[in-house]
Amino acid sequence: MAIISGLNLTYEYKIHNEEGVVESTHKAIKDVALDVMKGEFIAILGHNGSGKSTLAKHINALLKPTEGTILIKGMDSKDDEHVWDIRQTAGMVFQNPDNQIIATIVEEDVAFGPENMGVEASLIREHVDKALVAVEMTEYARHSPNKLSGGQKQRIAIAGVLAMKPECIILDEPTAMLDPSGRNEVLKTVLELNKEEGITIILITHFMEEAVLADRVLVMSEGEVVLGGTPKEVFSKVEYMKSIGLSVPQVTEVASKLQKDGATFNQTILTIDEMVDAICQLK
Amino acid sequence: MIRDITIGQYYPADSVLHRLDPRTKLIITFIYISSLFISVNYISYGFVFVFLATIIGLSKVPIKFMLKGLKMIFVIIIFTVVFNVFLTPGETEVFRFWKIIIYKEGLITASLMATRLVFLIIGSSILTLTTSPITLTDGIEYLLKPLEKIKVPAHEIAMMMTIALRFIPILLEETDKIMKAQMARGADFETGGLIKRAKSMLPLLVPLFISAFRRADDLALAMEARCYRGGEGRTRMNVLKYKWQDGIAFLVIVCYLGVLIAFKLVL
Repeated sequence: MAIISGLNLTYEYKIHNEEGVVESTHKAIKDVALDVMKGEFIAILGHNGSGKSTLAKHINALLKPTEGTILIKGMDSKDDEHVWDIRQTAGMVFQNPDNQIIATIVEEDVAFGPENMGVEASLIREHVDKALVAVEMTEYARHSPNKLSGGQKQRIAIAGVLAMKPECIILDEPTAMLDPSGRNEVLKTVLELNKEEGITIILITHFMEEAVLADRVLVMSEGEVVLGGTPKEVFSKVEYMKSIGLSVPQVTEVASKLQKDGATFNQTILTIDEMVDAICQLK
Repeated sequence: MIRDITIGQYYPADSVLHRLDPRTKLIITFIYISSLFISVNYISYGFVFVFLATIIGLSKVPIKFMLKGLKMIFVIIIFTVVFNVFLTPGETEVFRFWKIIIYKEGLITASLMATRLVFLIIGSSILTLTTSPITLTDGIEYLLKPLEKIKVPAHEIAMMMTIALRFIPILLEETDKIMKAQMARGADFETGGLIKRAKSMLPLLVPLFISAFRRADDLALAMEARCYRGGEGRTRMNVLKYKWQDGIAFLVIVCYLGVLIAFKLVL
């Protein structure tokens, strides 16, 4: 069952000149079709300005399409009465961990979403505790977010979305401002949520190594979805990815260079483990 | 440079006062402050002193934290004393030099005024010392709630205070970073007169403001994404509840007020 289905999505930014008159328009996304199944883990790749964040904001009804429609669990984002249900169904985590934490105590921040939804006090407590367990931050429940690391803050942000009982979480470059260990913490949490709780994940990233973890990868360029498929399918097109200014995981690139020099691998190599296996099988 | 600034002056401890409901403490502080204006004489103030000393004892906050607050208003106290001593007209002359005459009444008023200021500051610091800023914000929101009928934005005020508390340390850290970045490129924040130093702060403010606005924009988006739509229909995880201790506290403050009114009537 498709949880998100977008058709012919187009979004136009109006560019104003100094007098505030609309001078021209810029299409951030053009005619995008998007279908996400329940429980899927999708990665959206693209360089800066490729429209991936704009697309993400459509799924959360923060932006409404200029043309086309997007349905989230059957609800049209253009319907004003559905906006809050859509935002509850599809939660969003942003890039900067500092700018999305509202309260001065971790558990109060996690409670922010359910409080807005008007959930009953005892039920909020239950949701918050569960969300903190899911991101392994229970011991920091009474701490101030200011003293936490970037990875911990981002996990709090994820808990804040989880407490709203979403079916889908959109993460807009959640690891861009984190160090490698923080990045691993966040990815581990995201993977667990996907595998154990069955939450649909849409991960926007420009780290190829993160995209490898997904069930399906969409590549965006100039506002259009130019490539889609399993990580293996997408990253097998090394030359094409480079032509649109993206790269492929390091091992994949090494493998493709080896192949040019005559080595034969029977599949696209995405991880170091696969590389080791493949090299051991070479004669 | 700007590190280690704590907001408010909360002193974490486990005392009866710390456990009281913030609303109780706010109301009691308000009553206490007004009570200082009811009966102004030595006997009443002696009673207030005993009352205050008991409260300080109960609060488990070291006395030096209380006195810290006084440092800031030291100048004001001095001014009050000087003006009252020299400018209060009276009958009993104590001291005369050329045209300056000091009357006994002036000395009495001056000392009472100074005591009142000291009581005022210490009394209100007990509130902020025993209540964390977050609980205080909660208390204010609850107390302002009835005023929403006359269009006082109670929820918005509390939300603003919460966000300010969250972002002050972040912005301070950022100021520190910008300062260091500019000092690394030769900016001078430490020498020169007051005007020169104030001028050198200007290039600091511009990037700070830009970043603050950007953060505000991000935060607004994040809040909206988490279904924030104002105070209407919003529930709270931690609901404030009055306990029996609060009842006793109210009883105590009523008795205190009663004694002061009695002094006023008798004396």
